[in-house]
Amino acid sequence: MNNSLIISIENLCKHYRNADKNALDGLNLTIVEGEVFGVLGPNGAGKTTLFSILSGILPLTSGKVTIAGLDLKTDLESIKYKLGVVPQEIALYPSLSAEDNLLYIGRMYGMTGEELKEKVDYRIRQFGLTEVKDKPVKTYSGGMKRRVNLLGGILHQPEVLILDEPTEGMDVQSRAVMMEMLRKLNKEEGMTILYTSHYLEQAEIFCDRVAILNHGKQLVVGDPKDLIDRNEDRSSLEELFLELTGTTIVGS
Amino acid sequence: MIKRSIATFLKEFKLLKHDRIGVLVLFAMPVLLILIMTLVQNEAYKSLNEAGIPVLFVDRDQDSLSVAIEKGFESSQLCRLTMDDGTLFPTEASVREAVLSGEYLVAVTIPEGATRAIRENIGDIMDAFLEGEEFDPETSMDIVHVPIIVDPIARKSFVMAITFGLREFIGSVKTGVTFKLMGERMQEYLPVQREIQMPTVDFFEFEEKYAIDKEQYQPNAVQHNVPAWAIFAIFFITVPLAASIILERAEGLYIRMRAFPGSYLSKLSGKLVVYIIVAMIQFAMTLMIGKLLLPLMGLPELYIGESGLALFTLALSVSMAAIGYGLLLGTVFNTPPQSSIFGGVSILIMSALGGIWVPVNIMPAVMQDIAAFSPLNWGLSGFYDLFLKEGTFATILPNCIKLLTFFVVCLLVSVFVYQRKRKYQ
Repeated sequence: MNNSLIISIENLCKHYRNADKNALDGLNLTIVEGEVFGVLGPNGAGKTTLFSILSGILPLTSGKVTIAGLDLKTDLESIKYKLGVVPQEIALYPSLSAEDNLLYIGRMYGMTGEELKEKVDYRIRQFGLTEVKDKPVKTYSGGMKRRVNLLGGILHQPEVLILDEPTEGMDVQSRAVMMEMLRKLNKEEGMTILYTSHYLEQAEIFCDRVAILNHGKQLVVGDPKDLIDRNEDRSSLEELFLELTGTTIVGS
Repeated sequence: MIKRSIATFLKEFKLLKHDRIGVLVLFAMPVLLILIMTLVQNEAYKSLNEAGIPVLFVDRDQDSLSVAIEKGFESSQLCRLTMDDGTLFPTEASVREAVLSGEYLVAVTIPEGATRAIRENIGDIMDAFLEGEEFDPETSMDIVHVPIIVDPIARKSFVMAITFGLREFIGSVKTGVTFKLMGERMQEYLPVQREIQMPTVDFFEFEEKYAIDKEQYQPNAVQHNVPAWAIFAIFFITVPLAASIILERAEGLYIRMRAFPGSYLSKLSGKLVVYIIVAMIQFAMTLMIGKLLLPLMGLPELYIGESGLALFTLALSVSMAAIGYGLLLGTVFNTPPQSSIFGGVSILIMSALGGIWVPVNIMPAVMQDIAAFSPLNWGLSGFYDLFLKEGTFATILPNCIKLLTFFVVCLLVSVFVYQRKRKYQ
């Protein structure tokens, strides 16, 4: 991890039509290259809204966002090549095989020919999917689908990987495998990772820094260990979260 | 843009390849539709034109008039005549019952003494003339009432055809009687006994010809139904297309799609191309049915004109218009039921207005004006030009331009709606 800024968010606000309050209300965050950054918060905190804005899926209402030095409002098309997006839902065609899904995704990022095929083969091998690569995704286990879903976000070698609940619904074993894969992508390939999770224990171990949001506002930002250590009464991120939001992460 | 179009094209092609039932429905349904509609309409066409209108003729007169009417109807081939001398249907009530049972569309009863009444009336007119007396038709003539009982479902045109026929046959009998009586009366003034010879053939001959003097151009159930239902089926592809666009948007797939670089159209263009190809294959299949299958079923062979280029261009224009409409539905609506119901009903309305169900020229004037705005009508009238009127590429070009303009408008409105939706999220 070096210290060059990859994402800068200044006073970001998002207001949905007909909503009473802002979904994001004056958010300020900076994320450096190679960092693993966790965005935590209860349901309705604004996590998915933030990710949707960063991915170019939703327009922002006000504020400024730059990614890899490019302005989100004016350079969205260039930014999209630098971003890998892994939605919470399985964003794959169930009747197509993993290989066909990945070939499609790669082509949509402008990759073609041998380069694309080699990349798909490499990633399929790397993620232990070689045996099932020709079978329809609908026949895969939940963990396998999650892995292919993740592959769809990294195939074009993005600088920043945005993951919304990447381990949602996975058993403990599969979750551990997924986190190990993400760690490798971060450490070995230098991808900056921005992710949300309900699993605070996992975030505490995995993230270099976390931001806790509630009602569209950021409550704290920092290294999870530092945040916990600031008060002797706290022993975990979960306790800090409960203290700040007054709720467990799954409730609201 | 092209790379993304190819990516979407290949993906969509593979999706269709995996959805065998979906593909089967896409291709089998139009085939069934054309077969059934053509057979049904051909039978209806035959029953009224070849076999004729089923008419019950109750002849209580048993004289020259009823003989003339029977011969006249039989030679005109207008109807399929069932004769009764009053034995099977002795009363008007029994005749009415026979019509209501659906066995006959029209029943004509010639009352007893009808021929005699003609002779007497004409004789009286002639006597009054020769003796220099006044003849008051209202008081001096025996009026013959000919009941014509009509099935309520019978078309007005059928009934008019029967009554016009009756008037003509009765008129010819009256003329014959007039000449005969005149000849008889004139014998008194002539030195030699002679009889007026009535010609057995008419000296007027009517010759019906179509404006295009080729046998294959004659309109029939095949020439109408094959292009009409082919267009209808092509437009119905919009329903699965719209549903597929909405489903992609509703699931996580759409988040990924929106995260892809490129415009809305570039991400969907490959899908549109695949559906246009499906529509073209579907159209080619319907032509093959008209050319090869329908003749095996005793129906006329479809004549497709002489300009392959014009036919291809028109079919492509119809397909593009339909797919553009599908994109619009898929963009505007948020759920597949919404798009399916609106899409299905709007296509039914456009097809009804466009002359798919009934020809535009028999619609009321207002509806004919509205029909001019139906894309299905632009397509159908283009095919009529090619299949029935020796149309060329130049003839169908205005229709193609209208259809392609409709396609472009649908694309532009879709992009506008998409951007508006995104902006106000």
